[in-house]
Amino acid sequence: MTTHEELDALDGIVRHTTVHGIPTLFAPRAGEITAGLFFRVGHADETLPTAGITHLVEHLALYHLGLSDLHYNGATASTYTLFHVTGDETEVVTYLNSVCTALRDLPMDRLETEKEILRTEAGSRGQGPMSQMPLWRYGAQGYGLSSYDELGTRSLTADQVRHWAETRFTRDNAVLFLTADRVPDGLDLTLPAGRRFPTPAPSSALPVTPAFLRGEDGHLVFTSVVRRSTAAAVFAEVLGRALFQDLRQKGGYSYSAEADYSSRDADFATLTAYADALPQKQDAAVGGFVDVFARLRAGRIGQSELDSARGKLLRRYDVPDLGAALLPSYALSLLTGHRILTPEQHRDELKGVGIDDLREAAREAWDGGLLQVPARGAEWAGLTPAPRFSPSGVSGTLHPSLEDDDVTLIIGETGVTLSTPGGLVTVRYDACAAMTTRPDGGRCLTGLDGFRIAVEPTLFGEVTAERIAVLDKAVPADAIVPLPMRPVEEIPQPRERSAADPRTPARGPQETADGKRAGRVTGHFVLVTALAALWPVLLVALVVNGIKDSAPMGLAAIAGFALEFLLIRAARNLYRTGQPTTPP
Amino acid sequence: MGESAVGEASPLVTDPFDAVPGLAPLRAAAWDQDWAATRAFFEEIPDTETDGVSFAAVLLAGVERTEWFLEKAVRDRPDAPLPRTLLAERYIHLGWRARGRGPGADLSWDQAEQFQDWLRKAELLLIEVCAREPAYVPAWTARLATARGLTLGQSEARRRYDRLAEHDPHHVLAQSRLLQQLCPKWGGSWEAAHGFAQECASAAPEGSRAGVLVAEAHLEHCAELDGAQAGEYLRDVSVRDELRRAARASVLHPGHRRGWAWTDSHSTFALAFSLGGHPGDAARHFTALGDTVSESFWRNVPDWKTRFTEFRTAASATL
Repeated sequence: MTTHEELDALDGIVRHTTVHGIPTLFAPRAGEITAGLFFRVGHADETLPTAGITHLVEHLALYHLGLSDLHYNGATASTYTLFHVTGDETEVVTYLNSVCTALRDLPMDRLETEKEILRTEAGSRGQGPMSQMPLWRYGAQGYGLSSYDELGTRSLTADQVRHWAETRFTRDNAVLFLTADRVPDGLDLTLPAGRRFPTPAPSSALPVTPAFLRGEDGHLVFTSVVRRSTAAAVFAEVLGRALFQDLRQKGGYSYSAEADYSSRDADFATLTAYADALPQKQDAAVGGFVDVFARLRAGRIGQSELDSARGKLLRRYDVPDLGAALLPSYALSLLTGHRILTPEQHRDELKGVGIDDLREAAREAWDGGLLQVPARGAEWAGLTPAPRFSPSGVSGTLHPSLEDDDVTLIIGETGVTLSTPGGLVTVRYDACAAMTTRPDGGRCLTGLDGFRIAVEPTLFGEVTAERIAVLDKAVPADAIVPLPMRPVEEIPQPRERSAADPRTPARGPQETADGKRAGRVTGHFVLVTALAALWPVLLVALVVNGIKDSAPMGLAAIAGFALEFLLIRAARNLYRTGQPTTPP
Repeated sequence: MGESAVGEASPLVTDPFDAVPGLAPLRAAAWDQDWAATRAFFEEIPDTETDGVSFAAVLLAGVERTEWFLEKAVRDRPDAPLPRTLLAERYIHLGWRARGRGPGADLSWDQAEQFQDWLRKAELLLIEVCAREPAYVPAWTARLATARGLTLGQSEARRRYDRLAEHDPHHVLAQSRLLQQLCPKWGGSWEAAHGFAQECASAAPEGSRAGVLVAEAHLEHCAELDGAQAGEYLRDVSVRDELRRAARASVLHPGHRRGWAWTDSHSTFALAFSLGGHPGDAARHFTALGDTVSESFWRNVPDWKTRFTEFRTAASATL
């Protein structure tokens, strides 16, 4: 079925038109109007050196609205950017027009300030227990970039940002939705013509799945990539309930135990499961998790488990003004090219899901899974360790570590290798995602596969200016990210060889001893993510129930959307990690 | 469970297959690599043998080359719990044989790898069984052994035991395996080990052999102590009294019924009392044993067969 036919099938629920060339979906809801302008661009479209460029455009586009409550109505996700607003018709028109005016001609005089703001934000945010998962699955590119800090806030130029806006924030790469029975008068959404960008092709840093990696105490995280399907979405519900039942209610090993299903692109979704545990109970939490998954894979799923999960998904349709409530989801499908189902079609699909479909979904999820365990590993459960070392090294000049006799840095013609007792870590220049440079000679290379080597002249023997020059010449210019001068005390110095305190965050070669970063973990991400996931449901209820007394409800709705935005952003920020050579 | 002693005046019967006539059909089936007969044996184990399936599975696992026909049985019936569990127990046995019985620190890299490989193979079989048949107690019993060997941690071992105990709260073989895990050498503590042993013994029905867990805990504790301290430990009156109470409530209880594991129980008590210098207390256990003995704890005693005979003589002198 073509997109047009799919949209026609929504007749009576959602109508469609174009506004200044932008495909537009609208459905009525009494009271204030909520509008959202989606662009098919997000972090996953960036590169490590330009990471944050979409976020920067979003900030710049909203700058002129900065003094109003609407300031926060923008969000940058992995594959889309959303500008959204709730207000009366005039406010909505003003907001959308203002965003498009700014996108046509970004206030570049604000560039350095906004970069600074984003850097400050990055410095103040923590890292969630899930923050490392994208990096281990995808490497330092595409969907993996959500594990990384916004390196682009260091070096992006006005030309780069302008070019990004001109090519990605175009009318052909946008979809608009409005909770209104008609398109308001006075809209001027003129944007340059362009093209619809498909979602980026996924990269892979995981040669074998199911795989596992070691994370920090107290958290168990599982992610997988599954084909988008109604059965997979129901499976995520079943999994979340089964984990809660086994790990919390029955075992008492965990407080949080949950699962989530979120679309990654048009065809695939990311399935995430999470459980926390006290350190003394975390081994049981891992065991329970493995067993829950094994049970579901074996198809030992009760009809009541299926029914209650299905019931929850079906209840999403039990809301007044259904068309308006479904607009964001339809708009996103239209934007990414995912099929559009009418509520009736989706209900039918939900009703058609059987135990066998869940079993197949469970197997698919497990087979593609990546499990982060707090301790001990998971080979016993049939998982393969995610690569902690590169398959090969390079030859070149040898630079012994001044801290550890067993560690040697090799600077070669084709790349850099760190030889450690555990294995080799290699970043090849032609597969270098980014190299940060310091005026003092410090270099940090991150490979597209996520492996990273810090070349600190103070920590290895004979790393002369000539050897650094080899790196500077060999790494592609667009991968080089200059960083400012470090205070002397921040330049690493060799530690006493015998006095390594395991609690002190490692620097220098130890930092890259297993090539990829181990995340610092906070519980905040889980809470914030849970809130961000729940809030829209509550919000829809609030907004649709409050339509009759529109004035107070309008304020509540604005506050509600603002809060949702803050939650999503907070969750995303928590989801990302710092870049090692960037001082906080 | 091992070979029968040969060439002694009064040869000790150490093989449970010899000690328990009811087990003979299992040995015949194993020697014949006969899956149908093996399955028939397990299906006919009476309910009164509470942990009989696990006991027989461990015994079968000690018979050479049984993995050949058990692997085929698993291939033929991939969903059936029994062949998978029996094969897993065999893999666990092979793992321990590759490892040897010494302390973990003495293991070579190669030994440790082989040990882990066997246990992982066993564990993968068992994960499937427990996923399909969460009430299948013998698989959980086997998973207590894999949890320990694979060092999956105290809380995971406890989780497995709790899953098992939902269906069988008095499974002495499983309790004995968890007791091992609770000992300091596997990451536990003496407090936890003795506490668990007492808890199981008190909760068990009168006449159950569960009291042997108390003796096992004391023998494990004694083995961790240095020479003089070890001797003192079992001589301690409070330890002796605990052993006496445990023996009276279990294998010496009038309601006690001799099960397949009877040699294990009496052998363990006989050893604990003998090492503690209480030949009078050991006497009834030696009398019950006669020329039969289970090696499980005795083999840790240097020149154990000679010592067994000496202790038995000393005990009978008190009668």
